[in-house]
Parts: sequence; C-alpha cells; structure tokens
Amino acid sequence: MSDLFVALTPPNLLACFIGTVLGTVVGVLPGLGPAAAMALVLPLTIKLGPTAGLIMLAGIYYGAMYGGSTTSILVNVPGEAASVVTTIDGYRLARRGRAGAALAVAAIASFVAGTFSVVALQLAAPLVARAALAFGPAEYFAFALLGVVLLANLTGGSRAKSLAMVVLGIMLSTVGMDPLGGTVRFTFDLAGAQAGLSFVAVTAGLFGVAEVLATMADPASTTPVARVRFRELYPNREELRRSVPPMLRGTVLGFLVGLIPGPAATIASFVSYGVEKKISRHRDELGTGAIEGVAGPEAANNAAAGGGMIPLLSLGLPFTPSTAVLLSGMLLMNVTPGPFLLRDHPQVFWGVIGSFYVGNVMLLVLNLPLVGVFARVATVPPRFLMPGVLVLCVVAAYADNNNLFDVWVVVGAGIIGWAMRALGFNPAPLVLGLVLGPVLERAFLQALTIARGEVSGLWASGPAAVMLAAAAVAFVAPAVLALARRSAADPV
Amino acid sequence: MGRDRWSAAGLALLAIGYLFAARRYPLDTLTTPGPGIAPLGSGLALLALAVWLFIVAGSVRPAHAAGGLPEIRVAPTCPTESAPQRPGSRTALLMCGALVLYAGLLPRLGFLGSSVALVVVSSRLMGLEGWWRPAVLALGVTGVAYLLFARWLGVPLP
Repeated sequence: MSDLFVALTPPNLLACFIGTVLGTVVGVLPGLGPAAAMALVLPLTIKLGPTAGLIMLAGIYYGAMYGGSTTSILVNVPGEAASVVTTIDGYRLARRGRAGAALAVAAIASFVAGTFSVVALQLAAPLVARAALAFGPAEYFAFALLGVVLLANLTGGSRAKSLAMVVLGIMLSTVGMDPLGGTVRFTFDLAGAQAGLSFVAVTAGLFGVAEVLATMADPASTTPVARVRFRELYPNREELRRSVPPMLRGTVLGFLVGLIPGPAATIASFVSYGVEKKISRHRDELGTGAIEGVAGPEAANNAAAGGGMIPLLSLGLPFTPSTAVLLSGMLLMNVTPGPFLLRDHPQVFWGVIGSFYVGNVMLLVLNLPLVGVFARVATVPPRFLMPGVLVLCVVAAYADNNNLFDVWVVVGAGIIGWAMRALGFNPAPLVLGLVLGPVLERAFLQALTIARGEVSGLWASGPAAVMLAAAAVAFVAPAVLALARRSAADPV
Repeated sequence: MGRDRWSAAGLALLAIGYLFAARRYPLDTLTTPGPGIAPLGSGLALLALAVWLFIVAGSVRPAHAAGGLPEIRVAPTCPTESAPQRPGSRTALLMCGALVLYAGLLPRLGFLGSSVALVVVSSRLMGLEGWWRPAVLALGVTGVAYLLFARWLGVPLP
C-alpha cells in the first residue's frame, strides 16, 4: 500500500501531467480517440519504464474523458463517444450564456466520480484478483466469451456486424505463431508476419489513419467556439445544489456499468441520462439546458473509466479499445496483468492507482482555468493536424518492432478501417477480438486438454457454467425480446 | 442488392478463403488439440455471421427502435448511412493511393524523404494551398518525429 506514493516521485508526476494534458487535448479533438493516441505514444512510454509509462498511458485514458466534455458543451461536437449525451443539455446551457457553469460542473462531476472510482478500484481490484486465482482455463474462456457477447450487444447498431467484427479480430489474431504449439499460421512466407499482426499497427491504422481518410472524405466545417471568461466559470448556488444528486447517482451507476464488458463509459452516460429523465426533480427541463443533464452523464462516464480498469488489472482482460492498448503496453513492458500483478509488480499496480488520484487533481486544476485554451485546440484546422497524425501512426507502428511489414499493416488497417466505417462497421470490436483472440484460444485449448478431450469440461465448474449460461442468454435474449415486441405491436 | 448484403457477401468470401487457407493446419484430437481448431472455429463463425447479416439486411429496424442502444456517432466520423460519392471521397481514395506508394517507397527513399513527401501530399489534398506552407509543415512534422523516435528513442528508422 505504501507503493501508492510511488506516483508522487517527480518522474511519475511528470508522466502523469503529460498524460493528462495529452488526454485532454485528444478528448477535445473530435474523432481521434484515446485508443489511437495511446497507441501512438506507446513506443515513447516504453522508454519511460513500466510505472511511469503506464501512468502516462492511463493519464491519456482518463484525461480524454475530461476533455471530451469541453467541445460537447462549447461546440456541440463531442470529442469522443462518451460525451455525446453531454451535448444535449451542455450546448443549450452554453447558448444561454451558462457555458462556464456547465464546464465547471462537468469538471467537478468528473473529479468526484473519478476519485470515487479510484477508491473503489483500490478496494475492489485486489479482491477480484484474489478471487481470480481460482480461475482456470475454463473460467477464463467463459468470462472472455461472455465479454464478447455482451460487447456485441452493447456496442450499438447491428449485433451481427459487431459480432462479425469480433470474429474478424479473432481471425487476425491467428496470424503468426499459435499460442500453445508455436506453429506458424497464415504468414504466407512473409518473415515480418511471423510475430503476428502488431496490435499498435492495427490500432493506429483503424483509429488514426482511418480517421484521417474519413476527415478527407467528409471535411467538417469549422464551428465557432463559445467564448468563456474565467469569471463566468463559477456555477451559481442553485446550479451547484441541483448538480449534487445526479452527480452522486451518475458516479455509482457509472462505476457499476464500468464493470460490465463493453463500451462502458458511453453506455454509463446514456444510462445516467435515462435515470435522470425518470427520477430527477427537474426532469421536465432535461433536453432544454438542465444542469442535471451535464452533471449525471459526466460523472457516469468518468466513473465507468475507473470501473473498466478492474477486469484489466485483476484478470488481464480488457473490454474497451483503450484498456486493450493499456494491456498491450503492459505486455511490451514485461508486466503481465492479472491475479499475480499485485504480487509481482506492486509498484506498478499501486503506482498506477496512485496516479489516478494525482491525475484527477491535475485535471481539475487544468480544466477549470485552461478550458478556453483546450477549446481553441478543437478549432485547429484538420489540414494542419492530420498530416502529422499520419506520420505519427506510421512511425509508431514501425517503432513497435522495427519491422517494415508493420508499415504495410498500418496502411492496410487504415484503408480497411475507413471502408468499414463507410459500410457501418464499428472497428472497436475488431480490436478487442484481436486482443481477446489468443486469450480465448489458449483458454479453450487448455480447458480441453485438462478435461482430456471432454467438451463438458468447459462448463464443469460452477462459475464457468454460470458465465456460459449468461453468455447464451445474452446472445439469445435480444432476438427473443425483439420478436416479443414485434408480436405485441402487430397482434394478428 | 443493398450495401449490407454486399458486405455480408464480402465477409462470406473472406471466411471461405480463410477456411481454405486453414486446411493445412492439423486439428489433431480433442485431448491434444492442434493449431487448426481456432481457425476452423472462427472461420465457420464468420461464415455463419455473414449468412445472418445477409438474411437480416434490409429487414433490420434501427437498434433504438427495437429498444436497444442507439448507434453512437462522434462527429465528424463514422458515416454509417449510405456513403455517396462526394468530391471528398475521391480525395480520400487519392490519399489511399499515396499511402500505398509511401509504404512501397519507404525502404528506398528512407523515412525523411518519404515522410516529407507524404505530409506535403496529404496537406495539399486536405486543402492547404501553395507550396511553402505544406513544405514547412512537412519539415516540422518529419523533424519532430525524427528527433523523438530516431534520436531520443534510438529507433533505427529506414
């Protein structure tokens, strides 16, 4: 526990500061999300060492949650998906001259929720890690499978498309050596492909290069940013009083949603808004510029970001693209997340958690006075920004393994990612399939071997059976519910 | 045939090609499973999903209408509806060509030369007018990337 103070050493404080600033800027910029930004700086963080490197990556992750709200409120353009809901009331508040109050409440809500989720993470992660020691291959397989099914249900849009993307990611993960026997697969005699497809190259391509191509294909018009003066940043007493209950509700809700596999931060903000719509005293004002519509969702998406760290740190299973990049960073730094992380790398574990406290304070201090500066970042024309993103994507992909094959991978992933967006396919499930593929394959094959070829060995233990049953229910339920709703709507 | 059905057909072809390539990896037995099991399972799963997508294409109501989560889009990305041929699409296609050319020329021209060219081309395609501004941007971006990765991190850039 004393390792918590590792976060306060000067190098780690600097890493945290750079990470949170970078994250805020990335959150402010529409399109370029935290996963791409984390993938781009991954080679840099390796140089810093595991603790400082992971602190910087984590800083980008939760900094983006803060930054995303700024453009939602000032420009009506969410910096990332988790801030979509904030535009509804936040932008209307800005148009009524209450932009400063909305930004301040968003920053305070993010701080409160972020701090709560860190405390809960600090308490829950070691407990989950201890419980996970009882997990064998069958339980890991069942949990990862449940995660994949829930992910497809919760990503939004077509379930068939989301599942197809997960499976495509799993298929891509089979390129290179197989995780048990070492057989080289699907390399087609390309020496550069023997180590498999670089996760950094695929992520930088799907989220970075594809973003550049999408911006070229559909150039966004520059939106004027509302001017905010420092003295306008203070919410009045009434606004503060009204913000507290939704902030607290959003915090608890968000943390719980964060434990569920899937795009938790985005879902949490929608769930929080839905709850406020139902139970808030001022529910009639929601949608017209109510402060509750900012406080609840902003608290929820930040709390969910903390909740999403629990499966990663305790089980080594990421369920969002950002935590997948964090996992990749950990593995590159020879730190294996999971039940033994706390035993083998206590400084990394507690250092990262400690940095969350420090980072939340830094973000509050940064976001209140510098909000106008961050908002200006959103107005940098893409023609200056995007060429730089392209070069960074290529160099980051190459630097991962010093492999020219990865340059082809990043270019290919970029072009395919752009085509996928145009066809309505979300690239996030593909990235998670790529990460979870080897986990699923290894766990499945090991479980079969342990059970001496008996397929029933996959559900022989209680937890595995429960998780597989839950996965089956989650797979079937949406179709059954849709059928029931349709027959209720069209009684013959 | 609609856009989703074309996508489904493409995915089905991909799955069949993948399964065909996976034939060379042995399945072995369930007690000692071989390296062909995961490719076979995932290939068949993608084929099944492609069939599902083909069947439901055109009959699917928006997710939120069916009580599910709405499709979440962050402007200006993820154009999930029809993608008409805008002038911008042609620019993006040109950029795709430039990127492929870049990957091919990187080993021959080296990082500095090819990256300067890439930034000049991409900034011009994005509407940065004249030559000196793209050139200054290209030198700045490439220089920073070189200093960061080659000098500080010691990455042996081509």
